[in-house]
Amino acid sequence: MTKPTRLFLFVSGGILAAGLGTGLVAAYVGGFQNLSLLAASGPDELSYLPSDAKVVGYANVRELMDSELHQKLQALTPRNGNGLARFQEETGVDVSKDVDYVLAAIGGDVSAATPEQGRPLVIARGRFDNVRIEGLVRSKGGTVEDFKGVRLLKVSEPSGAMNMALAFVEPGLIAMGADAAVRQAIDGHRGSAANATGNAELVRLVKDASDGNLWVVARFDALSAAGNLPAGVAERLPAINWVTLTGHVNGGIRAAVRAEARDDAAAKNLRDVVQGMLALAKLQTGQRTDFAAIMDSIELGGDGKTVSLALSIPIEVMDHLASLHTPGGLRPSPDAPQPPAPPQAPEPPAVP
Amino acid sequence: MSTRPVPPSFAAGAVRVFGLSLGEMLWSRRTVFLLLVTGAPVFLALVARVVQGSGVVPVRLNGAAVDGGSIFGMMIWVFFLRFIVPVLGVFYGTSLIADEVEERTLTYLFTRPIRRGAVLVGKYLAYIVSTTLVVLPSVVLVYFVLVPLGQVARTFLAFAADLGLLALGLAAYGALFALVGAALKRPLVSGLVFVFGWEQIALLVPGYLKRFTVAHYVQGLVPHAMPSEGVATLLQSVLRDNPPALVCILVLAAVVGVTLWLGVKAVESREYVLDQ
Repeated sequence: MTKPTRLFLFVSGGILAAGLGTGLVAAYVGGFQNLSLLAASGPDELSYLPSDAKVVGYANVRELMDSELHQKLQALTPRNGNGLARFQEETGVDVSKDVDYVLAAIGGDVSAATPEQGRPLVIARGRFDNVRIEGLVRSKGGTVEDFKGVRLLKVSEPSGAMNMALAFVEPGLIAMGADAAVRQAIDGHRGSAANATGNAELVRLVKDASDGNLWVVARFDALSAAGNLPAGVAERLPAINWVTLTGHVNGGIRAAVRAEARDDAAAKNLRDVVQGMLALAKLQTGQRTDFAAIMDSIELGGDGKTVSLALSIPIEVMDHLASLHTPGGLRPSPDAPQPPAPPQAPEPPAVP
Repeated sequence: MSTRPVPPSFAAGAVRVFGLSLGEMLWSRRTVFLLLVTGAPVFLALVARVVQGSGVVPVRLNGAAVDGGSIFGMMIWVFFLRFIVPVLGVFYGTSLIADEVEERTLTYLFTRPIRRGAVLVGKYLAYIVSTTLVVLPSVVLVYFVLVPLGQVARTFLAFAADLGLLALGLAAYGALFALVGAALKRPLVSGLVFVFGWEQIALLVPGYLKRFTVAHYVQGLVPHAMPSEGVATLLQSVLRDNPPALVCILVLAAVVGVTLWLGVKAVESREYVLDQ
């Protein structure tokens, strides 16, 4: 092997090794963020959710807050500032900075008469001031108890409708919701009760949905029961088992809705219904150029038992829609710097 | 009493041919072509990065800005998978034996005390090393130019998968065309027809025909979404059915093993007539 050949092999191999090494170190430091997504089953916290969850939702709060769309919306309608500021004052949690992501689920019978039977549960990952939150709960009349080594903060509604609880289940991870749901979450994670990772169908759907920074997987009967669909609409819709909504919010919005019907025939019927609705919508909005971009981006797809609908709303369209509904168009943020003053006209030269 | 020298084993013979062929392959005119095709994506990535750095969004999809990671995914599809890997496979694979025939130097190799099949295997190994050591560093450079360091943790496994599938693609295409080069008289034409004719059509036809292409299994391993930049790619994405990753890897490994074995058999049984 000649010297130039050896040099070539050394340089090429060096670039390859340096690239792989840098990537490996960066991935290790960053915690192999995509490993869980590729490996199996969505967020690790899925083990806290009940195995009979009818609705599971996820929001990557960090990415949503940092998104260009959020920045623009905040400039447009800074109406929630006071509420968030009060929440931060009481809990020490700045939602825009301290919360990384939130996972929520509703287990049990969601169509039941009382919310307690619906058992809502929220898991939040971030940086929380445990002492301050516990103090707040106590000041509101809450009690603290030890549940299998975990501090459980309990608050009962005066009406007695629901017993709420909050637990610091891991450093930087809190579980809150119905008392029974929080206790079940702790049990489920420790393996002493069934958890969502054992529900193969749910795990499969979560894995499919989890490439967005906002997603919801729900049983359709739970959605229709909770959403109070008009009887006529509910009866005419083909039989649907699961609905998945995936959204990716950054500059604009990319969203996809996927429905799993009970069989191929129901899926075909649903595709026909959606196609008809899309055609109707296109007719209705035919003259509206502002909606044309959205309508053109809608894609109906799916095969077998699935029906999917994807759409994309670019930031320009969001700007346009905002300007339609805001007198004077998109206002600059109050925090934005003032535009520079126009230059002064030059003084005329002195006449001698 | 004189002792006859023991001829080297098949593996030892292949290693000797590998050492000889690697230098020849790297410093040939074909390498200029190789550097040009692998340098183009690096150049475009640099341009995209400079444009991005100046505040202009280099690529938009449906009006939405596309981030560096997605641009990298598109480049893997458009440049490396659809063009560079199959083209290098055709050009290098078909020339392993054909070049020696054309230059009338095959006799010198075949008169060495090594098996004829070892010549093909040694040259094939040289092809693998020289192409992967040009293509993969090019992918590494494109990745680090386009993807911000903050996104590396999220995208590293997909990047590592890209490197693996490109190496596997080069190996599969190279072995297939090494067989074509060893068995046919006009291998380059046949190779180009296979890559730009048969594979393109088979991927567009609904049904099982796509299973008889290498591209189907290589594309089945890609962790990035297929970009749809035309009617053909739109049809491909609609008609695409991804086999499981393990199936893709096994099929590609089988393509390498079977075609290389057939290539060895072809070289050992065929009588090459050198033009005078």
